[in-house]
Amino acid sequence: MTEPQMSLAMSHGAVMEESPYGIQSRKLVMWLFIIADAATFGALLFGYGYLRVGSPDWTRPFAFSPTILNGMVMTVVLLTSSLTMLGAVGAAHAGQRDTSIRWLGVTALLGIVFAGLHLREWFKMIGEGWGFATNPMGGSVLFGATFFSITGLHLLHVVSGVIAITVIALGFRRGWLNAAHVETTGLYWHFVDLVWMFVFPLVYLMNAR
Amino acid sequence: MESTYGPGMKVYVAVWIGLLLIVAVEVALTYARLPAPTLLGVLLALAFLEAGLGVLYFMHLRYERSSLSWSLIPAILFVLVLLNYLWPDARRLLSLHR
Repeated sequence: MTEPQMSLAMSHGAVMEESPYGIQSRKLVMWLFIIADAATFGALLFGYGYLRVGSPDWTRPFAFSPTILNGMVMTVVLLTSSLTMLGAVGAAHAGQRDTSIRWLGVTALLGIVFAGLHLREWFKMIGEGWGFATNPMGGSVLFGATFFSITGLHLLHVVSGVIAITVIALGFRRGWLNAAHVETTGLYWHFVDLVWMFVFPLVYLMNAR
Repeated sequence: MESTYGPGMKVYVAVWIGLLLIVAVEVALTYARLPAPTLLGVLLALAFLEAGLGVLYFMHLRYERSSLSWSLIPAILFVLVLLNYLWPDARRLLSLHR
């Protein structure tokens, strides 16, 4: 070790210390964001449960076709996008840049399909008279408020994820981002997928007719 | 889609199939006309199973140092447990309508 390096190590001992988690800072930060975001979704779902338990005239509007069927297709699309993201991360770590970018493209495309299916469902419901404070079936208006809030926040995460994946793919292609960036984006995308694993049963299936 | 990172695509595909099967079970149980509290309990248990599989395999937590799991998981569980303070007030709200 040269004298300047020794001096740097002595004066910045804490900075030079190895991470106790054995992962890069960006990955740890993404994990911390995920835990905070999980608490946000948890609070929203508990709030939905609170309003539902406290409302004697709660509405269960979803028929198997088209809503539950549409939700099942959306779930399959999102789960499959997690698989393609894993392919992208694996290829990136194996040094197969083009393969990784292709899988990132498929993942973004599946995210767009999910968002499209979701928005189609939203517009159909809005056309039927559903809204934040309206219930065309005559029951509690809180159904629309909770449904659009929870699925809206999730949809925002999906759209943000598609944008992030596109930016990461472009950066990876041009060489100013690396496999670690792809992996960190993958962590976020899997989290968005896992949140849906709670939204689908609690918001859709528990409101099936 | 060959991977040299994590457990490999065979494991990922197996987990993906498992998650799809759990979703199918959830939908089937929804139309089995179970009492609402029972259905809620079963759906929540299956959702946590799905989340566990996703976090361990898709998000690789199983392959990271255990210090990461011990720093993250108890924190979110603590928050989720504390949020249960809402239920007595929800029942009070319901009683006001009767």
